[in-house]
Amino acid sequence: MNERMDDLQFRRSIYADPSSTDQEVLAAKKADPAKQQFADELIKLDLKIHRAINVDVPENLYNKLMLKQTLASHQQQKRKNRIQLAIAASVAFTVGLSVNFMQSSNVYSDLGDYALAHVNHEAHLFSNNSNAKISLASLNKKMSTYHASFTQSLGKLISAGECNFGGLKVLHLVYQGKTQPVTVFVVPSKNDLDFDSNFSHGNLHGEAQQFKNANIVVVGDKNEPLQQWQQKIKQDITWST
Amino acid sequence: MASKQVRYEALVRALHGDLFRYGYWLCHDKQVAEDLVQETFLRAWRALDSLKDEKAAKSWLITILRRENARRFERKRFDMSEYDEMSVVDTQAIGHEQDLENEMLRDKIAQLPEEYREPLVLQVLGGYSGEEIAKQLNLNKNTVMTRLFRARNQLKESLEDEPMFLGQFN
Repeated sequence: MNERMDDLQFRRSIYADPSSTDQEVLAAKKADPAKQQFADELIKLDLKIHRAINVDVPENLYNKLMLKQTLASHQQQKRKNRIQLAIAASVAFTVGLSVNFMQSSNVYSDLGDYALAHVNHEAHLFSNNSNAKISLASLNKKMSTYHASFTQSLGKLISAGECNFGGLKVLHLVYQGKTQPVTVFVVPSKNDLDFDSNFSHGNLHGEAQQFKNANIVVVGDKNEPLQQWQQKIKQDITWST
Repeated sequence: MASKQVRYEALVRALHGDLFRYGYWLCHDKQVAEDLVQETFLRAWRALDSLKDEKAAKSWLITILRRENARRFERKRFDMSEYDEMSVVDTQAIGHEQDLENEMLRDKIAQLPEEYREPLVLQVLGGYSGEEIAKQLNLNKNTVMTRLFRARNQLKESLEDEPMFLGQFN
């Protein structure tokens, strides 16, 4: 530490920071009344500078700032909501599109492919030894949509439901077969599907015959005498129009 | 931890005044200063989560405001009709204060070179130490101390030239 700050050094320190608490500066002020006076003048000047720099703040600035923030976060929220809505809409649109696509796109172009695909797809749902048995009356109720009815049952009916061949509503009947369930489809004849009287894939084979109102497709495993099934159907079915 | 809204309100309440003054001494225009402060706080609101230490809030806001001011200059480059920065002091805003001495001093502060004025404003307004100013302005401490010395020296000398200040600093 210097014994005493020289005048220039002191002035520089005071100019740079009039309220300096530096030990050397304080000591120099104490030791020299002229320095003390100089420092006091600078502090006086600094008070004036302080007052000059402290310009008035617009009264409503605080409120303006809060308002602006409120609006901004509201906008942000609105944007967020819009984005969420847009995402939801696009998800819904995509779902709608794909459901539509799955239902109506012609993945397959002929009857046999559709029939096989449905049988394969639902194979696990039906057991040949199922206890379910659907009466002829309730079958015929469903058949009425297709303008047809059976005069007697083809066999033990395990399931009767509707399914979809590329947008076309089809009656889907599952009967007990010799070893595996036999599936009978009643396909309205107003369709764009290529007609296939015989088809097969793997263990499954199928036969179709054309009637006035509908095509009837029978699908079963290789043990199943499909021709007999078709024969029986031809005998027992009656068409209302 | 206080909610974002509460933190923001506290921040605005405590610091908008000094920030406005700081902005004013950067641009010498109350309206522009107000715009700067608004833009600064808007950015602060968006980035509030990045402010971890409330004690650093003031420096953080000043940094944002300085950046905003610099952006203003970038934009201004395309606007050739801008007035001469130094010649315009917002006399209307300070006229009603009827403090001639104060007004004159403001004039002198406004006429200081910016590199002297800014450290001075930070010191007087923010109560920052030489080190803190150096950090804020990205200068070394000696440079800051020299500029503070020159700022006050120039103010003192220019005031001594004014008749009404004669004898005050002898």
